[in-house]
Amino acid sequence: MTLKKILQRIWAIVGAVSVRSKILGIVLGFIVLLGVGVTFQARYALTATMTAQLEEQSVSVSRDLAARATDLILLNDLLGLHDLLDETLANNPNVRYAFIVDPQGQVITHTFEGGFPLDLLAINLADGHAHHHTALIQTDEGLVWDTAVPILDGKIGTARIGLSDASMRAALSTLTAQLLLTIIFVSTARGSCSVFLTWILTRPILALVSATKSVAKGDFTPRVLRWADDEIGDLADAFNNMTEELARTDELRREREFLRRQLMEKVITTQEDERRRIARELHDSTSQNLTSLIVGLRIMETNCAQCVAISKATDLRQVASKTLDEIHDLSMRLRPRVLDDLGLAAALERLAHEWQARYKIPADVVIQLNERLPGEVETAIYRIVQETLTNIARHAQATSTSILIERRGDMVRAIVEDDGVGFDVNTNHSERHLGLMGMRERAELLNGTLTIESAPEHGTSVFIEIPLSSPLLLGEGVGVRLA
Amino acid sequence: MKKIILLLIAITLAACSAIPQTEIAGHVDLNNLQPLSTPQDYETVPLRVAIAAVISPKGTLESYSPFLRYLETKLNRPVELIQRRTYLEINDLIERDEVDIAFVCTSAYVQGHDSFGMELLVAPQVKGKTTYNSFLIVPVDSSAQSMEDLRGKVFAFTDPISLSGRVYPTYLVQQLGFTPEKFFARTFFTYSHDEAIRAVASGVADGAAVDSLVYEYVVARDPSLAEKVKVIHRSPDFGIPPVVVSPFTRPQVKEELQTLFLEMANDPTARDALASIGVEQFVLIDDNAYDSVRALMGILPTSAVQP
Repeated sequence: MTLKKILQRIWAIVGAVSVRSKILGIVLGFIVLLGVGVTFQARYALTATMTAQLEEQSVSVSRDLAARATDLILLNDLLGLHDLLDETLANNPNVRYAFIVDPQGQVITHTFEGGFPLDLLAINLADGHAHHHTALIQTDEGLVWDTAVPILDGKIGTARIGLSDASMRAALSTLTAQLLLTIIFVSTARGSCSVFLTWILTRPILALVSATKSVAKGDFTPRVLRWADDEIGDLADAFNNMTEELARTDELRREREFLRRQLMEKVITTQEDERRRIARELHDSTSQNLTSLIVGLRIMETNCAQCVAISKATDLRQVASKTLDEIHDLSMRLRPRVLDDLGLAAALERLAHEWQARYKIPADVVIQLNERLPGEVETAIYRIVQETLTNIARHAQATSTSILIERRGDMVRAIVEDDGVGFDVNTNHSERHLGLMGMRERAELLNGTLTIESAPEHGTSVFIEIPLSSPLLLGEGVGVRLA
Repeated sequence: MKKIILLLIAITLAACSAIPQTEIAGHVDLNNLQPLSTPQDYETVPLRVAIAAVISPKGTLESYSPFLRYLETKLNRPVELIQRRTYLEINDLIERDEVDIAFVCTSAYVQGHDSFGMELLVAPQVKGKTTYNSFLIVPVDSSAQSMEDLRGKVFAFTDPISLSGRVYPTYLVQQLGFTPEKFFARTFFTYSHDEAIRAVASGVADGAAVDSLVYEYVVARDPSLAEKVKVIHRSPDFGIPPVVVSPFTRPQVKEELQTLFLEMANDPTARDALASIGVEQFVLIDDNAYDSVRALMGILPTSAVQP
């Protein structure tokens, strides 16, 4: 359980690093593991071999010394013995010391200068009949293999040789240092190779990631290079195919959208034109005719002697007069002439005026425009405000409304607020939804935005923003695309 | 997974701790040097026995060990064996009273007696005789029949003042009208007779002159040598190498020793001691037994008898 937790923790760290670091880590980890393992094994094997060799050498050197010392001891040739020990020391660099003791344990001659470590005498006492006896001694200079060889069965003495393991330790240190250096070198080389390899491996992946991000932002132009003829190469191809497909689909979608908008604009323009025509017709022709009719009826009233006819004429004139008002109202609603003639500000003020007169809801209108706006912008804002006011009248149960129109730089902004019951923007009331859709559509046709903020019992605010500088969406490169 | 990790840890630990497996026998500070105590004196003064290097030091020790142990037992005092490379060194020790008794070579006795009064104690008797000879030996496959045939060859002398090993062969060469330096291509000293036999047997020397007693003793101990060397000349009899004492040895000590030596043949416990040195018994001998040797040494130039 604990192990599992540890592994999870390790994975949490390991998993979080990049693929490059993972591969590098695996490669370096294995090299270091292998290198350290090999170093330990080599040290171990070498130590075992060298220890055995040292022990053997210790025995052979002391056997040799004992053999050569025999006659010298018997002949009491102390100088010869001393020379022999010196020679032994000189010819065997591993020999730390050599000495010969007589059967009574007295040192006959030795290679120490200026004294003798007496502790040595008590250690490694060989039995007279033994071939040799080797003991490992811990000294202040490291381990020493001490071999005692009895001379003539110990009758005339014992030869003692001490072989230091210093050269062995030096060899081991050298070996270890060389192996570690090799590991460092190999690690560095392999590390560089791995960095290069992982760069080769991850480069296409990183390119894919970058391209994917571009595609997500709607830019279908990036293409991933097929670096190698492998799985990642196939992935790059698949990605490129997908991007091309997406680009084609997007193109198609844009064209359709364009056509739809064009159609929509046409519908709206046609509608406006038609309304304008009908309104004009109603005003110029129908209203004139009705006015003529009313005038005729009034003349008929004054000049007619028959009472029945008079009262009938009065009724008719009243009907005609009412119809004239209605036609006037209708023409006003279809397309107020004031919008075309005096502009948005006048048209909206009039609209608001009539609206509060009709619905008895106070409307506060603030319009900050110094000059006329483009016709389509005026129409769009007018229609949106008109629709909004209609909605307020129908649904809001508001006690006051405010309309603000202002120009900010190259942007014209309209805000229509009420303190009515509000509604949940996210809820889909099909009828109202359609109306809102139409409003938004109008704004968007002019590259503008329409935002509605509302919540139940918190009133409703409609924000409209339409840019003035940018060309109409419809105009932008459409000809080229359609061609 | 857990097992693998444990295994890896175990291997690593094993590799780290595997050196060395041998038990440490002790701790010594090699740089803590102290003066060595001077050898303690024997509680009783040992009898110092010098043995001239007729045979090699090691061979001497092996042969004389039973004899020396016998002396120790009989005298109830330790016996110290003293060996030197050359006969002259032994003579010096006797002259300086540094040994009590000595087994010396015939010519060494003659020289010691004539120069500082070395005294005869007893003489060994071998095969019923108190004389010995010098054998001229050559490798068994050698065509040499006499000293004459060894001209221009390599010759091994034993000791510079050995009668059988140097004086007699020098005499032979001189009889042919040469000095050894001119007669032989090369000469060298082996300092003992068994080594001279070995030199001829191994072909290092083309010839050598050795003590007949040693030759027979050595060939008896190692019969394979008889297949490698042969004797082509035998000298006249010379007085056997004696056992001597220093002129400073007190008469009662000399007498005690003499009695001991002479009675060995009758002592069953001395049998091994005598056998190991190839001696039947010790007998008294008179100085005039060595007059023929004196005569031989007299006709040689001093260089032949002086090292």
